[in-house]
Formats: sequence, structure tokens, C-alpha cells
Amino acid sequence: MTKSTEPWRDGIPDEVTEMLRDLPEVDPPPALADNVMSTIVCRARIETMSPTLMTKGRTMAKKVLWSVAAAAAVALVVMRVFGYPPVQDGTEATIGAAQRYQAPQISSADVKLEDAQLQAFLQSDVFRQLASDKVAQEALKNNDFRRALADASVRVALSSPDVVAAIAATAATAGAPQALEANNARLDAAKVKLDAVLASSEALRVALASPLVAQAIANSALRVALVNSDAAFALSQQVAVNAVLAAATANLNATAVSSQATAGGATNAAGSAVR
Amino acid sequence: MDERDDAAIVARCLEGDRDAYEEIVKRYQRTLFNVALRVLGNYEDAKDATQTALVKAYEHLDGFDRDQRFFNWIYRILKNECLNVLRARRPSGPVSLDLPAVGGADPVELGQRQRAVQVALQTLSLDYREVVVLRHFTDLSYDEIAATLGIPVKTVKSRLYTARQQLSHQLSVWRVAR
Repeated sequence: MTKSTEPWRDGIPDEVTEMLRDLPEVDPPPALADNVMSTIVCRARIETMSPTLMTKGRTMAKKVLWSVAAAAAVALVVMRVFGYPPVQDGTEATIGAAQRYQAPQISSADVKLEDAQLQAFLQSDVFRQLASDKVAQEALKNNDFRRALADASVRVALSSPDVVAAIAATAATAGAPQALEANNARLDAAKVKLDAVLASSEALRVALASPLVAQAIANSALRVALVNSDAAFALSQQVAVNAVLAAATANLNATAVSSQATAGGATNAAGSAVR
Repeated sequence: MDERDDAAIVARCLEGDRDAYEEIVKRYQRTLFNVALRVLGNYEDAKDATQTALVKAYEHLDGFDRDQRFFNWIYRILKNECLNVLRARRPSGPVSLDLPAVGGADPVELGQRQRAVQVALQTLSLDYREVVVLRHFTDLSYDEIAATLGIPVKTVKSRLYTARQQLSHQLSVWRVAR
């Protein structure tokens, strides 16, 4: 290396150069070289060991991973075999066939008159007519007739004017069969229907054995009530029958009251009977 | 410093001859340490910077271009270490140059003047300081300094001139005393 001419003075050292030259060259620390080499050797050893450590670490990590996976698999199998978690009834649909709720066939005992239906019946003209018809009231006192009305097929049959006519004809000709035979074919068809209903309803058969019931069906307010399906259903319930009978009693005790007031009092009495 | 020797030693190191690097360390430790000392102005910091630079150079020997001078390459490593040290230092105010103007060549006066020069060096920016250090504390030529710093020779001379002007101003009291 050769120093070129200084830019500030041609070859002649100035005072700044002289002062810089006064700064002595300092010996490096004696251990500097040894420290450098020992550091290099130490780091080289670490690098030599690191691959081994890294390999061991990776191997251990793989072992742990496989162990965890195996444990999870065993746990799943055990849970599957022993049915854990337990399945509650009706929640098995995702695994097997769903155990659905299957309700039994509805019976007459399951059909209850709701409060709203009862109130509608108590407010109806049918109710007022029944409360003022002694023949109808006597028929309603027949428990067999009430039980027969609990059968929907009976109610449907009794709502038919032809069937009612057949019942009336049968009752009227009980002592004179020839009179019935004189009726037309329409009545014959109605009688067939009636016979079918009677065959299916023991209660109706027993009820119609009473001439009073047959007469009420044929001629009283009960005939109108049976045409109304809601009223017919209400009359199958003891509570509604009791209301009718209570209203009838109230009518007898309030003879001085006008017909409208009588109906209101009957309604109140019926309400008391219900309660 | 024989550049061909440096390249040969580096080649041996890369072939696994770790001890060969000790020749490099012994060859450059003095120059590198003095450069670090004049740039940092602190013995311990210069020692740490030099040691770290030499270790890092060994660890990155495979990145050394054997077509260039080894000193140019390792100087950049040392410079980065010095910058790290300077950045890590707490910021300080300007160095006081309120030094006594004493005459004579007694050791006390010499010591004071040397400290004044070192303090004056510290007042220079790093660009100016390194040019002065490389010019006055190494045997590098302007061309070699330019190659080391990666700047044109003209810029080296310009920076050196400005640096000397600033040093001259800072050391005016001592110049009179001489």
C-alpha cells in the first residue's frame, strides 16, 4: 500500500496530521485471538451437537404424536363399544332408527270438552231450547244415551234427518209394524244406516230401548241439538248435561221473569252448575 | 497483507481447517482493533466489536468473494458492529473541548493532547471519522479506502479534507500550543 499525495498539502504533513500521528497504535488485548478461536470452536461444537439434538427432538415429537393419536383411537373405540356418552331416549336418530313417539289411538275418554267449547254451548240457542224442553231433559238423564253420543259415528248418524226419521218411525210403530212398512224406500235406507250404528254402539242400542229417548230424538229440542255437531259432542259430556238440567230447574223457579231474563238466569245457573 | 495468502487461508478454513483461521485473526486483529478503538473511542467496546467481527467473519466465510480483498470484507463486518455499539450507547451532548493550552512535550501534555484528538475524532460524523481513521490508522491508500467503503476516490478525498478542516478547528488550541 502506498500513500498518495495528501490533498491538503503536497507531501508536507500539517499540524492535524502530526497530531493524529501522536495517537499511538494500541496493542489489541492479548487474549483477543484466543477468545475468538475459542468462541469459534465452542460454536462449532454446538452446531455439531445441534443436528443430533434436533434429530432426537423430532423423533421424540413423532413418538409423542403417535402415542396421542393411538390413545385417541383407543378412546374412540371404547366409547363406541360401550356407548359413551349414553344416548337419551328419542335422541338416537343420528346413529340408528329413530325411536319416535307413537301415540295410542284416541278414545272417547280422551276427548274432553274444553272450557271454550262449553262456554259456546252455554251461550247457544240450542242450550236454551234444551233447558226449556222437558222431553229432551229426560232423554239427557239417560247415561247410555250420553255414552252413545261420545261415539263420533253415532253423532254423525243421529245428525241425519233420515236416521232420526227412522228412529221416530220405529218408535211410533213399535206397536204397529205395518205402519213402518208403509214408509218409502228412503226410510228403508235410513233404517239400514241405523241398524249399522246400532250394531256398532251397544250404548245407543240400550238407550233407544227407552221409548222416551227415541221420542226425544224424534220430536224434542234434542233433534235440533243433534244436527249441530258441537252441541251433540257437548251433550256427550256430563258437565254439559248437568248445565242443561240446572238451567231447566232455574227456569222453573223463575216463572215471573221474562223469557230473555230467564235465559240469562239459566245461563248463570248453568255456570254455577259447571263450577 | 498478501491477498493471495488470505484467499488461501479462507479456502483452507472452508475445507474444514479451523485452525487456519487463527492466522487470519492474528494478521488482522491489530488493525481491526485500532480502527474500532478510534471509531468508538473506548477500549472495551473496541475489544468486543473486534472479537464479534472476527467470529462473524469466520461463520460467514462461505460468503466471502475471494476476488476482493479480505480486509475490505471484514471491515464492513466490523463497521456494522461499531454501528451497533454506537446505537446502543445512550445519547450524549457535545464533547467539551475546553482543554488547557499547555506548551512543552512532557508526558502529561502529550496525554492531554492525545485525549483531545480522540475527543475531536468523536465529534466527527461516522462518514468523516472512518475516512480519517482508515487514512491515518491503517496503511490503506485512497483507492483502497474507496474500495473498502464502496465510494469513489474523489469522495474519499473530499470527506478527508472536510474532516481535517473540522479537526483543525477543534484542535486549534493545541496547534498553537505546539
